[in-house]
Amino acid sequence: MALLELRNISKSFLHAAGTLRVLENLSYTIEEGEFVAVVGPSGCGKSTMLRIINGLMPPTSGQVLYRGRQTDGINLECAMVFQSFALMPWLTVKANIELGLEARGVAPIEREKRAGVYIDKVGLDGFEEAYPRELSGGMKQRVGLARALAVEPRLLLMDEPFSALDALTAITLREELLEVWQSADMPVHNIIIVTHMIEEAVELADRILVLASGPGRLVADLKVDLPRPRDRRKESFNALTDQVFSLIEERA
Amino acid sequence: MATDTITARRLTNGIIAFLLIAVFVALFFAYQHHGAKLHAPRLHVSARNLPYYAACSFLRMLAAYAVSLVFALVYGLLAGTSRAYERVLIPVIDIAQSVPVVGFFPAAIYFFVALAHGSRFGVEMAAVFLIFTSQAWNMALGVYEAVRTLPGDSVEALEVFGASGWLKLKRLLLPACVPKLVYNSILSWVTGWYYIIACEIITAGPARYQLPGLGSYLMTAQDKGRTGEIIAGLLTLLTIIILMDAIVWQPLSVWAERFRYEFAASSEPIRSLGMFDALGAIGPIVLRLIRGATRPIGRVSRRAFASARPFNPAEHPGLRRAGRALRIVGQSAIFALIAWGLIEGLVALIRTLMRPWPTEVRRIPLATLASLARIIVAYAISLAWTLPCAIAASENPRFARRLAPIAEIVGSMPATALFPLIIVFVIRLTGGMNLVSILLVITGMQWYVLFNLLAGVSQIPADLKEAARSFGLSRAATWRKLTIPAMLPSLITGSITAWGGGWNALILSEYFVYRDHTYQVFGLGALLDDATYRTDNSLMILLTLLSMVVIVIVLNRVVWRRLYDLAADRYRIEY
Repeated sequence: MALLELRNISKSFLHAAGTLRVLENLSYTIEEGEFVAVVGPSGCGKSTMLRIINGLMPPTSGQVLYRGRQTDGINLECAMVFQSFALMPWLTVKANIELGLEARGVAPIEREKRAGVYIDKVGLDGFEEAYPRELSGGMKQRVGLARALAVEPRLLLMDEPFSALDALTAITLREELLEVWQSADMPVHNIIIVTHMIEEAVELADRILVLASGPGRLVADLKVDLPRPRDRRKESFNALTDQVFSLIEERA
Repeated sequence: MATDTITARRLTNGIIAFLLIAVFVALFFAYQHHGAKLHAPRLHVSARNLPYYAACSFLRMLAAYAVSLVFALVYGLLAGTSRAYERVLIPVIDIAQSVPVVGFFPAAIYFFVALAHGSRFGVEMAAVFLIFTSQAWNMALGVYEAVRTLPGDSVEALEVFGASGWLKLKRLLLPACVPKLVYNSILSWVTGWYYIIACEIITAGPARYQLPGLGSYLMTAQDKGRTGEIIAGLLTLLTIIILMDAIVWQPLSVWAERFRYEFAASSEPIRSLGMFDALGAIGPIVLRLIRGATRPIGRVSRRAFASARPFNPAEHPGLRRAGRALRIVGQSAIFALIAWGLIEGLVALIRTLMRPWPTEVRRIPLATLASLARIIVAYAISLAWTLPCAIAASENPRFARRLAPIAEIVGSMPATALFPLIIVFVIRLTGGMNLVSILLVITGMQWYVLFNLLAGVSQIPADLKEAARSFGLSRAATWRKLTIPAMLPSLITGSITAWGGGWNALILSEYFVYRDHTYQVFGLGALLDDATYRTDNSLMILLTLLSMVVIVIVLNRVVWRRLYDLAADRYRIEY
């Protein structure tokens, strides 16, 4: 059974000047165990798509099937990593990471234990009692990642997670994400990452969905079978990057 | 060690500031017996005279606002641009803010009536002065904050181009003040209305002062039980407030948005669109009309000046010398005035304190506690309904959109206009003056809390709300982890303002004369009013007023300032 299936998803917003169509007839299927990147120009509705999958907003028409069943409201088997980190400024790193666990009714002792595991995994040791404002951007997104991992989601959703960071920090965090993804004891089986950086998609994902804008629709669905670790300087890497780039450019 | 010296310094500052206030108040009382004989004009309670009375009150407000605006700009710009001025001006305004304006009124009347040699003009000046003191401080602080938080690079950008003096003021400092000044002006008008209604009729000792205006009209109409006239008066007031909002504040708010620095995280809400949507549409039209009307003036003046050579002060050494001389004269005049006031006030203070102390002085501590308890209850009740409202607004944007305009109208209606009716109604219903008093204090507190909370709620970042939902937080957990912490800074700001309003309302609410019957409860406000209206004992007025100032300052320093620092440190949202 497929993990996730989008069937003819459309989304439009009411706007002062009429309706704005953001997504139109978006359909695809994601199998269990896939790392999918969604790329496209800004305004192609990729973030909206992610929010519909999470259940933060309903589609105007169409269906989202999660493991064969139609979803209704927030899907608690997903967890989201936000572009802006979205950490509660008044909660410590540890309390922020425990947020999702608390919502799922995990007992305090278990909560603490699990938060500890993921603090360790993303390299936040020693920062448990720090507040977000005391952290650098990279450290903040580590907290965002740990908060999402801590609920041990079957599907991890990432909304441009590295685009608010400087280039060097983004490289480090991408490597760490891959480590987490490849480690055997991770409960996360699936990742959907939304990005506008084509290299990021090619470096990370097994499969790339290319969206075009106005309104957002699927224009290509590519398999990435470059061996990991992927080297950005290799010919095959660049060939794929160029291919995705020209796909987007054609439609613009 | 270091904290000890800071505490000691703060304490000395506090004591010095307090002494300054004492001297200032006493100075006003030195004129107590100059203006006792004053003819109060008769008031004709008839709907036909309403336009005249409305115009009187409106002009009084306008005069006070004009003075406040000039004061706020000069004071705020001085404090914001010069470290030396800042060190003096900011503590002074901090203390001035905590003086209950209403208690100060009789003293102000004595002073201004004496100044105007017993003419009605003196009472007018006193009323304008009272409104000014309720309007000026927050505006001045707004200007100061706007100038101080100006992004450094925009200052540098102007300096790079060699801009200085007038150009810097015109292109950088004044525009930067606009958003905060507009926002605070709206607030100032709301407070202004609240007090003008209460201050147009005042009995001070043997003298009864009465100014023609909406406030005195409403009070007299209620005293005579003329329902039709009361309703007509209230409708007139409501009309003025709604028209002001539609014609002045809406267009100004829209205009002010242009001057907002995007990345300087705004502490004010972008105003909800209009009291009524229909009226909201008037705003842009008026704005266009004003622009259309002023354009020719600008064109003509530009043409007139286009031929003239730009004025360069360096080419006119005589003018510069004259300017310098003028500044020196002005500064010495101000210092002389301050010195005179200090000496005169100190003499008056000592003379007043040397008088035999009345036995009622012993009741002051207990009265303070009684009043404090009343304010705490009123505050708790205000919170009890505004907090759920704000939380509901955070969960339901449609409710927030409906609530904001209604609250805006109801909140701008000065409750003081209805005090006599409320008192009579509630006393008939329950017989308890204590309840009435608390109710009236609530009218002076609740809107500050509500408006600040709504502003706080509207600023909760969308991504934090999404995160809370995405992680499946329950409603209660969302309140605990997101809504309430996010509201804390604005809750505390609102509470500080509300408590200021509460002390003022207390003076108006613990003692009330209606149809020759005095309604009162035991409290600091009642002691003050009794001394003002009945015994005319300036020592007692001075002592109760100073007790009030002391408790307000102590509460501000011990409770609110600390909470505010905590909130600003921990619960601030920044990106």
